[in-house]
Amino acid sequence: MKVNNKRGLSEDFRASLLRVVFLIVVVGFFAVQNPAFVNGASILSVIQGMVFVGIAAVFLTLLITSGEFDISVGANAALAGTIAAQYVVAGEGVEDDRSPWTGLLIGAVVGTIIGLINALIVLVGNVPSFIATIAMLFIAKSLATYLPGGKPIPGYRDSWEAEGIGFRDSFFLSNFSIITLTLIIILGHIVLKRTHFGVVIASIGSNKEAARTSGTQVKRVKTILFALTGAGAGLAGAVSVFHFGSIYFSLGQGWELTAIAAIVLGGTSLFGGKGSVLGLLFGLALMQTIASGMVAVGIDPWWQTVVTGGIVLATLVVEQLRRKVS
Amino acid sequence: MINTSDYALEMAGIGKSFGSTVALSAVDLRVKKGTIHGLIGQNGAGKSTLMKILSGLYPSGTFSGQIIIDGKVVELTSTLDAQDVGISIVPQETTVANTLTVAENILLPEMSRSPLKPYSKAKVLSRVTEFLNSYNIPLVPDKLAAELTLAEKQILMIARAIYLEPQVLVLDEPTSSLTGDEIKNLFSVTRTLKSLGITIVFITHKMDEIIELCDLVSILRDGKIVFEVSRNEFKVDELISQMIGRDLGDLYPVQQEVSEDAPVVLKVVDLVIENPRKIGEPLLKPFSFELRKGEILGIGGLVGSGRTEILKSLFGHYKIMGGEVQVNGNQIKSRSVTDSISHGFGYITEDRKAEGLFFNLAIKQNFTASIIESLTKLSLLQKTVEKSRARVYLERLQVKPQNLDVPISSLSGGNQQKVVLGKSLITGPKILMLDEPTKGVDIASKAEIYKTISEYAKDGYSVILISSEFPELLALSHRVIVFSGGRNVGEISGGLENEKKLMLMAIGTTEKASN
Repeated sequence: MKVNNKRGLSEDFRASLLRVVFLIVVVGFFAVQNPAFVNGASILSVIQGMVFVGIAAVFLTLLITSGEFDISVGANAALAGTIAAQYVVAGEGVEDDRSPWTGLLIGAVVGTIIGLINALIVLVGNVPSFIATIAMLFIAKSLATYLPGGKPIPGYRDSWEAEGIGFRDSFFLSNFSIITLTLIIILGHIVLKRTHFGVVIASIGSNKEAARTSGTQVKRVKTILFALTGAGAGLAGAVSVFHFGSIYFSLGQGWELTAIAAIVLGGTSLFGGKGSVLGLLFGLALMQTIASGMVAVGIDPWWQTVVTGGIVLATLVVEQLRRKVS
Repeated sequence: MINTSDYALEMAGIGKSFGSTVALSAVDLRVKKGTIHGLIGQNGAGKSTLMKILSGLYPSGTFSGQIIIDGKVVELTSTLDAQDVGISIVPQETTVANTLTVAENILLPEMSRSPLKPYSKAKVLSRVTEFLNSYNIPLVPDKLAAELTLAEKQILMIARAIYLEPQVLVLDEPTSSLTGDEIKNLFSVTRTLKSLGITIVFITHKMDEIIELCDLVSILRDGKIVFEVSRNEFKVDELISQMIGRDLGDLYPVQQEVSEDAPVVLKVVDLVIENPRKIGEPLLKPFSFELRKGEILGIGGLVGSGRTEILKSLFGHYKIMGGEVQVNGNQIKSRSVTDSISHGFGYITEDRKAEGLFFNLAIKQNFTASIIESLTKLSLLQKTVEKSRARVYLERLQVKPQNLDVPISSLSGGNQQKVVLGKSLITGPKILMLDEPTKGVDIASKAEIYKTISEYAKDGYSVILISSEFPELLALSHRVIVFSGGRNVGEISGGLENEKKLMLMAIGTTEKASN
């Protein structure tokens, strides 16, 4: 492992460089098979594919760095998105300001509440976070399915027209999700790497006792992180509804696994103590590139999951080997 | 009028109970400004409870009595409060954030106070470098804490506490993982701090440290301060008896003589053991020794002379490359730990945390883990039999608390060690090998462990003993074989009077065997 920071490039930088290079190689591989893969629209769709999970995953990265887990983010997004949609649509036809923007706020609020409930169960009830949030996953998912009576919620788009918002005409609106993701990634990265709070988060994940003896209010910090994770998930759900103009049944499905895979690919340790938001970005990009790339190349959908899993495994093994060698 | 006092810290009438157990009762401790005040207390005497109260971990309201800093009563609701009033405690267990750098660890208290402030790596490095230089602390600021040795981690913890410029610095058994030079370093840092006006509470159970460093000593026993004395009135014997509550003479049991015609239980001839760090190479020159029935044989030497490896090889943990091992006259070959156990060997490790105990389980299960098969009938565990077997050892060893269902993790170090001992004794090994059996153990528990070892030998079993505390080794053993510089340099008879001889033989050459 590195001994002297001043000598050459630091290990972290080298690791990041390696990841970027790897990503370029993967993109190149698919581009060779299908040159259409690297045109503008294609790239945009790749980014669009990862954006919602991404929004949910940023604060989850921080939470994992502090040593806790939240496997309910997908269900959280689904429930928050559903409630947001219902709220917005319910105002339709009536003369009140049920704007889609409020829907976003509602989504974030619902998500935060779910996050706080998670915090309560884990920190007060002393249930390990993995188990507590699995329970929450089931509860939130069922609520999300049955709240709208098991049917999709129509009419979301109409509420825009009522506001005079032409969705497809506005660059801002159609790329709103990507803009949101960018902002949240910047925010998450700054908090984790450029503030004292970030160091405190890592210290809790590294050694809870050491953090406590240093005066950190561990429970308070974790509560904040659970709330933020929930907010992120809720916002992701609301943004997703916002973007597609309706609730869809598979909203949030599989997000938790994708999120965790992306987080781990990015160098965050599942044991806590070491995290990277930019790494998460890489993880997302890699996974989405592979997924989209396989479609562009025409690989059987059955194989796609296998290949994705295989590449994730390979990346992790390489990481471990690299660590042992240095 | 400003209320100042001669005392930097006063703990007045501190009391705390856990349910019906009284941990502390009316503890009165007064620490004069600018002194190094020694606090001696066995584990189980209430020392850790007292420290938790002082550090704010047990907030105001959970205990009775008052904490007074510089004449002012303080109410601590959290560890942050304690830091604010100038109390800084370095706990005994090294708790360091491994994924952070040395610098980040040191500044952690400051950072947790100003979470929204931007983090600049360069600034952090320069401040910490300056700080470390001014106190002459030998740490590299941008090194990851995970790469530090245990001793360096301990120094890191002390640096972190000093950085806060406390009024009162409490060092809880700071030398437990340090050796010679590091201890000297620590002492000089402590004296530097004293000269800067910091008051230091030095918690230890080592007599020589108290004598060398402390201006005043208070002894905590059974939840009360029982004795207080200043440096010029120290009397070592008196201190020890106050610590254990009885006479020093009782500490080491009287040895029973081993008769000349006691049968040889273990005979080792020209044994060559493998170096676990250099596979294929022998660790020591071939050596031989004999062990008789009822005898306690000590293996003497400095740290690194290969003593642990000898025992571990006999136990089947490491490889034997050559030579003979005879048990009761029959040559045996132990290829594994299971083999060795079946030949009558028992081994108690020096690292109870890592290798000795099942921390998630209670005392009862720890005791009976190794004999679980003998307690089952038709594969079902006979709970009553388990209980009664475990209880025998609970009482014999005077484990506190005398309750089989208490989880091991809540026991003090000394009592944990007793359980480790019990775990091995319960299987009745004919040749019991003990590796540092009283490491990190308080004096009263030590006395009980010594008694148990001595009685075990009297009952006709044989013991091989390793201890880095020479007086302990000599008092317990009938004979001591000494290793130094990679070989057996001879044998001396037991007895405290041979300490100097043992030291000279152990030092012999400066070469380390296991490297």
